Amino acid sequence: MFELGTFVVSIVTFLILFLIIRKVGFEPLNNMLEKRRQYVMNELSEAERARKMSESQLNEQKAILEDAKRQVKEMLDTARVRADDQAREILLQAQEEAQRLLESSRQLIERERAEAMNAVLASVASLTVQLSEGLLRHHVTETEHQSMMDEAQQRLGELVC
Amino acid sequence: MSAFPMLFPNSAFPINLTTIAMMILAGLVVIIFLRVAASRLSVREPGKMQNLVEWIIEFTANMAKDTMPSQRLVQWVLPLAFTMLLFLFVSNWLGVIATVSINTNHPIPWLGITAQKLAQAHGEVPLYDSPTANMSMTLGMAFMVWVISHFQGLKTPRKWLRHYKNPMFIIEEITNPLTHGMRLYGNIFAGEALIGVILSIPILYHVIPIGLPLLLVWLFYSAFVSSIQAYVFTILMTLYIGHKSYGEQTDH
Repeated sequence: MFELGTFVVSIVTFLILFLIIRKVGFEPLNNMLEKRRQYVMNELSEAERARKMSESQLNEQKAILEDAKRQVKEMLDTARVRADDQAREILLQAQEEAQRLLESSRQLIERERAEAMNAVLASVASLTVQLSEGLLRHHVTETEHQSMMDEAQQRLGELVC
Repeated sequence: MSAFPMLFPNSAFPINLTTIAMMILAGLVVIIFLRVAASRLSVREPGKMQNLVEWIIEFTANMAKDTMPSQRLVQWVLPLAFTMLLFLFVSNWLGVIATVSINTNHPIPWLGITAQKLAQAHGEVPLYDSPTANMSMTLGMAFMVWVISHFQGLKTPRKWLRHYKNPMFIIEEITNPLTHGMRLYGNIFAGEALIGVILSIPILYHVIPIGLPLLLVWLFYSAFVSSIQAYVFTILMTLYIGHKSYGEQTDH
């Protein structure tokens, strides 16, 4: 049984209810849903970005580590080479020094030997002269004494050398 | 035939007060439900209530996506479809949960409860009933959908007119809203009528309620039909509006 009044009033009632429900119930919920969607999307893209960043950082770190390793190796190599060089140099210097020392001491010995020899010669000559004076009991003048000394020295020198 | 309280009973414009009051009640239930859900909204940690409501919105949006030609129209029809789905669901269920009538033998002529009608209805005046068990109300909903769909169609008048080269489509314009409304009314009214009939089965020896198993079965079935009919009415609404949206047909 059709009732025109119910027909019209129910349409009006529904439209009013619809406007209220849309304003009060639907829109906040739909906005929230939209926000949630946005939020999830943001989170996802953020996570993706963070993942990419960490990946690139990891690669960077790896590269830096590799570089550092390489540098250390280089430094070690150069240090070793330098140390070898230095050791060789020090050895050479030491050898030279030793050589030099040996030489100088040898010269010193030579000189001292010569000096000692000269001193011995001088004293032997004077002893010889005194001896000959004593033997000859002969008064010898100062000049004669000098000439004899020279002669004796010369002879002894020839004898020694 | 129940004796509904009517406004202007003997004019050409009788208004069924029970139906309108029940519509408002159903609307209030929907509003309260949504307000409760909306009061605990959270972006990060949705509660059960929020999940349920979001699921309903998602469900309605999928329904609209299947029947509407473009994403813009889906967003446009979404609040209407959402409201219609919840409103009809609650309306249909109100009658399944309970129907309340008062028994009176006092005719109230200005509300259309005449002695003759009371006699026909055995003195029953329904005060609480599904609004969708009223033919005029469901036809009103269907007519409203029909008007909205033609507003959509008239946005592109030439295409709308070209559609009616085939006279079959003119017949469709009459049968579509008619079946749309009558289907809902028929299902809900039949469900309630049968509940009433089952309830009137006499109790054997005053102890054995032979109608009880039947009643339980039929209540389950009615509840099922109530939910399905709300869905069917809403999806047909989006379908009819979608079919008339010629302007957007291209980007489907």
